[in-house]
Amino acid sequence: MKLTVSKSRLIIVPDVLIAGFLLYLVFEGGSVSHVGVTKALAVIAGYIILRSIAVVWSHKRIFQRIETIVNIIADYKKGKFASARDETIGKDDFSLIIKELALMGKHFEDLVFSQKSEIENLRELYHNIVLSISSYFLVLNYRSEVIFANESFCRKFQFELEDIVGRNIQEIFFFLTDTIKESIGRVSQQEESIVLEKTHLVSINKISVIADIKISTMAVKGESQIIFVIDDVTSKCRKDFQISLISQVSESIQRDDEIERVLHTILTGVTSGSGLGFNRAMLFLLDDRGNTLEGKMAVGPDNIDEAIEIWGTVPNCGVDIYTQLKSYDDRAAKGKGLLERVQQARFPVGGNNILVQPLANHENIHVYDAYGDDRVDDSLREFMDVREYVIVPLIAVNRAIGVIVADNKFNQVPIGNDNIELLSIFAFQAAISIESYKNLHLIKKEMEKIKERQDAMIEQEKLAAVGRIALHIAHEIRNPLVTMGGYARRILQLSKDNPKNGESVSKAAAVVLKESERLEKTLSNVMDFTKSASFIMEYNNINDIVEDTCELMKNLLQEKHIHLRMKLDENTPLVKSDFNQLKQVMLNLIQNAIDATPAHGEIELETKTNANHVLIDVRDTGSGIDSENISRVFEPFFTTKITGVGLGLSIVKKIITDHNGEISVKRRPEGGTEFRISLKIPG
Amino acid sequence: MSKILIVEDEQHQRELYAMELQDEGYEVDQAANGREAVEKVKNSKFDLVILDIRMPEMDGIEALGKILSRDKKIPIIIYTAYSNYKSNFMTWTADAYITKSSNLNELKSKIKEILSARSK
Repeated sequence: MKLTVSKSRLIIVPDVLIAGFLLYLVFEGGSVSHVGVTKALAVIAGYIILRSIAVVWSHKRIFQRIETIVNIIADYKKGKFASARDETIGKDDFSLIIKELALMGKHFEDLVFSQKSEIENLRELYHNIVLSISSYFLVLNYRSEVIFANESFCRKFQFELEDIVGRNIQEIFFFLTDTIKESIGRVSQQEESIVLEKTHLVSINKISVIADIKISTMAVKGESQIIFVIDDVTSKCRKDFQISLISQVSESIQRDDEIERVLHTILTGVTSGSGLGFNRAMLFLLDDRGNTLEGKMAVGPDNIDEAIEIWGTVPNCGVDIYTQLKSYDDRAAKGKGLLERVQQARFPVGGNNILVQPLANHENIHVYDAYGDDRVDDSLREFMDVREYVIVPLIAVNRAIGVIVADNKFNQVPIGNDNIELLSIFAFQAAISIESYKNLHLIKKEMEKIKERQDAMIEQEKLAAVGRIALHIAHEIRNPLVTMGGYARRILQLSKDNPKNGESVSKAAAVVLKESERLEKTLSNVMDFTKSASFIMEYNNINDIVEDTCELMKNLLQEKHIHLRMKLDENTPLVKSDFNQLKQVMLNLIQNAIDATPAHGEIELETKTNANHVLIDVRDTGSGIDSENISRVFEPFFTTKITGVGLGLSIVKKIITDHNGEISVKRRPEGGTEFRISLKIPG
Repeated sequence: MSKILIVEDEQHQRELYAMELQDEGYEVDQAANGREAVEKVKNSKFDLVILDIRMPEMDGIEALGKILSRDKKIPIIIYTAYSNYKSNFMTWTADAYITKSSNLNELKSKIKEILSARSK
C-alpha cells in the first residue's frame, strides 16, 4: 500500500521538471529577453508548483483512507471485528465506505460473539459430561499410553490424572486379561468397537471392579486413539451373583451332590470376583463330637502365579455358577495345594486359637495384622501366611457349625466392612445349606437303615414261612427215612438169615431206591427256598410250579382236612420267570388260603390262559376279607391273623411286580377270597 | 398167636412193619387210615393196635377215640413221626407213644412188653 502511495507521487515528477525548466528560463533569461515572457513563464512555473503540492496533498489523504480500509479488511480477515477506529470524520465517499465497514464489523462482532459463547457453553457442557459421567473414561494413544482419563475413572481407581497420563495401560492395571489385550489390538487394527461384558479389572493400587468395557477407536489429527468406556457393573453383578449363588447352593444340595461340591459352591461364591471377591476362602467345620475344627474345603490360588492364571482364564463374574461348578474338578486341581493344606488342618476347639473363637461368641473376627496380633498364635500365622484376614462363623439355628476364613493374600486389597458384612450374610445362608445338607444326608442314611431293616424283615418272613412248613417237611423226610432205614435193616437181616432170599432183597432194595428218590426231591424242594434271592429268569411251566408247591403243602392241607382242587390247563405256555420266586408266591398264597379256610373247607387252584396272559387263581372258602381291608392286603405289615407279621402278601406283590405281572384280589360272591395272578406270555 | 393191627397210611412202611412183625411170629392185619382201622376193629378182634396219627380221611387221634370207645381194653401203641402229639391228652389214653425210627427194636420190645403183661 505504501508503494502505491509512493508511486502516486511520481505523477508530480513531470510537473516539477517543467516548473524547473521554466524557472531556469526566467532566472537565466539569456535566451529569453522579453520581460513579459519572463513574467509569464514565472507565473506558469508557480502555478505548476502549487498544483503539484495540491495533488500531493490530496493524494496523500486518499491513500490514507484506502490504507485504513485495507487495514480494516485485514483485521476482518484475522477475525477482529471490534476495531475501535474513529475514521468517521468527513462526508466523502471514503468516509461512508469506512462507516459501512465499521457497521458490518459490528454485526460480525455480535454474530461471532454470540456463536462463541454458544460454543463455549457447549464445550463446558461436554467437558462436564465427560468428566462427570459415571462410566469411567480412558483414552489411550496408539502406544497404549494414557492420554486422558475422566474424573470418575480417577476417583474410582484413586489416581491423580497427572500421575497416569503418559503411562502405559499395563502400568495402571494390576493385570489385564488376555481378552482385553487382544481386544485392544483388534480395535486399533480394524477400527471397530468391541464390548467386553463383565470383565474383571484390578488397578495397580488394588481396586477391583467388574465392568462392561467398550473399546473403540477415534482418529485425532491423523493419529488413532483408543477409547475405553468402562461401565462399572460390580454391584449389579454381585447382587445377581449372590442371588443365583444362594439358589445354586440349595439346588446343588437338591441335586444330591456330595458335600464337597456344596462346600465348593459356597467358597466359589466367596472368592468369585462378582461374588464377594476374596482371593482365598477356606471352610472349616466342627467334627461330629464338636471337639475339633477340621479343614474341609478351600478355593483360591496357592501362589501368585496361580492367582494370575485363575483370574486370567476363569470368567470371574459368570453369573452362571453352574458352569463354574462343572469345571469344579479342573479348578480344584488348580487350587490343589491350598486345598490339601486346608484339608489336613485341625484346630482343637478347647484351645486359645482365634480361629475357634467365633464358634463361641458367634461374632466375626477381623484380623488386621496377624503378625502383631496377640490373639493369633504362630501355627495359625504360619498356616495363613497373610497379614489381614477375616473369620466368620457359620451359624445354623443358633449353633455354630464351623467358620469361613477369607483373605486377599495376593492382591492385598484391604478387607472392607461391607465385604465382611456380605460375607457374614453369605455365611449364614451357607450354614443353613450345609446344615440342611447334613440333615438330608442323615435322613437318607436313616431311610437306608430302615430299608435295610425292612429287607431283613422280609427275608425273615420268608424264612418264617419256610419254618412253618419245616415241621411238615420233617414228616416228609422222616417217613421215607424210616422206611428206607427199615428196609435197609431188613435187607441186611434177610441176607444174614438166608442168602437165597434174592427176590425179597431186590424188592427191598427197590423200595429203598424209590424212597431215597422221594427224599431227594423233598429235600431239594426245601432247599429251593434257602437259595439266594437273586433272580434267575427262565422259561417255566406254571403248572410245575403250582404242583411242586402243593406237594410241599400236602401235609398242612391234610392236617386241616382241607380239600385241594386243582384245575390246571395243560396247554399253558411257558412264562419267563424265576422258578423259586414264583414257588414262594404260591407257597404264601396257599398258606394264606389254608389259614383263612376252616377245617374241611376247600381250596381251589386254577391255571388258564387268555390272549396275552397266563392266569393263576387261588380261591379259598374262608371268611373272606372285609371290603375296607381288601385294598390293604398287599401293604407290608397288614395282617388280620394273630400269627405272622403280615409280610406274606407284600412279598407276593413284590415278586409279581418284579415279574412285570399283576396280582388282584376280590371277595368271592359265594364266600371266601380269590387271588388272581396274571403273567405276560412272552413274545 | 397174637393178632396185631397196623394202621399206617404209608404203604411201604406198613408193609415193612407187617413183614417184620410176621417174622417175629405175630399175625398181622393192615389198615391204611383211621376209618379202615375202626372198621377192622369192629369186625375182628385184635390183641394190639399200632396206630399212626397223621393220616388222611381219619387221623389216629380220632381213630384212637373210636377204637377205645368200642373196646376199652385193647392195647394201642401210637407210632408216629411227630413227637409233639405227646402233649395231646388223647394220646395219654394209649398204652405207649413211640416216635418212628428206622430201628424197629423199640417198637418190637414194647409190643412184647405189653402183650406179656396182658397174658399174665
